[in-house]
Amino acid sequence: MGEQPGRVWVFGDYRNYFQNRVTLQLIGKAKELAQEIGTGVTVLVVGERVRQYAMEYVAHGADAVMVAEHPDLSEYRVETYTALVAEWVETYGPEILLAGATAFGRSFFPRLAKRLRTGLSADCVDLHIDPETKLLVQTTPAWGGELLAEVITPHHRPQMATVHPGVFEERPHDPEATGGIFYPEVKIRKEERIRVLRRRTRRSRKIRLEEAEVVVVGGRGLGSKAQFEMLEELAELLDGEVGATRPAIRAGWTEEERLLGQTGKSVRPKTLISVGTSGALQYTAGILGAGTIIAINRDPHAPIFKISDLGVVGDAKSVLPILLEELRKRL
Amino acid sequence: MHFSEESRISAHHNYLVNGRMTQGFVLGEPDSGDRFFFLADVVLPAESTPRISARLYGPEGNLLCEVQWNRLGRNPGRCTYRSLEGGFRILDEAGSVVLEVMTEKFPRGYLSGISGRLFDEEGRLRLEPLGDNSRIPGEPPRFLTRPYGGF
Repeated sequence: MGEQPGRVWVFGDYRNYFQNRVTLQLIGKAKELAQEIGTGVTVLVVGERVRQYAMEYVAHGADAVMVAEHPDLSEYRVETYTALVAEWVETYGPEILLAGATAFGRSFFPRLAKRLRTGLSADCVDLHIDPETKLLVQTTPAWGGELLAEVITPHHRPQMATVHPGVFEERPHDPEATGGIFYPEVKIRKEERIRVLRRRTRRSRKIRLEEAEVVVVGGRGLGSKAQFEMLEELAELLDGEVGATRPAIRAGWTEEERLLGQTGKSVRPKTLISVGTSGALQYTAGILGAGTIIAINRDPHAPIFKISDLGVVGDAKSVLPILLEELRKRL
Repeated sequence: MHFSEESRISAHHNYLVNGRMTQGFVLGEPDSGDRFFFLADVVLPAESTPRISARLYGPEGNLLCEVQWNRLGRNPGRCTYRSLEGGFRILDEAGSVVLEVMTEKFPRGYLSGISGRLFDEEGRLRLEPLGDNSRIPGEPPRFLTRPYGGF
């Protein structure tokens, strides 16, 4: 056997656009981490026909890909994937193992961490290597999002974390890139308790929060669904998307897919307008990558003003109609 | 458990052989002058087609033809070159497929599958079909990490 794969591993989650993007974003961050500890990045590509993804990951910075192709891997199945990846980890001993905090990542990684008897930091908003200990420092919202905790895993390996889509930036596609490819033996266990009978795809209007250059976010301070609907007009005028905090979702003013923050999506728009949001950490964890943040809130002491570039102290009910009127005139 | 095989892949173009991806490989000795070889050369990002060169023999060890960068060269076996959508095929005088190369286009890359039954000058089988690609019996190919170039 020749060259070994790098010891910072990323799980390649490629099933749809956003899952694929978060993997690319993680590869970008993993490159930095790997450099700090003197190793390379290996992406795990598991499925039936996954060749194009292996190439895509190399183009975005993977030093190597570890590929398992098998008809029994065509569906994401937590039991099968856990057994397969756990065996690879036990054999090759990666230092760090990362995945996107996608629906599958959130289900798969806790089971994998349990199987490997190691720790897992979920929904991280930052990762870095401690320069002295060379341990992975995993920054994650804690205590209901009231504070950001820095978690380390000094005694167990691998150091595992999941990260929201949109937290890190992906490296550009480089068609000249090359990378190693490894084909570990694939052992499929047949004792699964779940059988896939059929697949049905739910149709929904496409919400492209993670891609939008302008995001308008509404929170509890809006007070009603009617006020929230004004945000939809504002977003339309600015060719943007609407996001929401948890209280706005709970109030039924918009759909769950628009949730931003610790338990929702992370966004990196050029401009983000936050209306009637207090600025709780569980929300702001999802908007830290935004370029310019404009906040509208009637409470001058609201934490949202601490992270905003421009603040408007005023009731959204009064400010929004004026803003909309001005925009309608100009656009 | 062990890594059953390893090579390098390109972000731009790869070949599929033995069920594995590789950016290039060579069988035999391209520089030998009169012996079997099969070269699937590294494709650079400016190009979108594979680079296949070969000296192909029949099962009796008789020289069929030479291929130079996807084109027929010396052709004592009266082989036929057939251009296909996404690839090409070389047939022997009787019309049987000697070699087929088909390229699948991805949104940002290419993968060329190689299939056929290739023999060397001693009539030994050097490559045979396996699903949508091919199997190399015996010794594995030499994987390339940079273009092989002229020979």
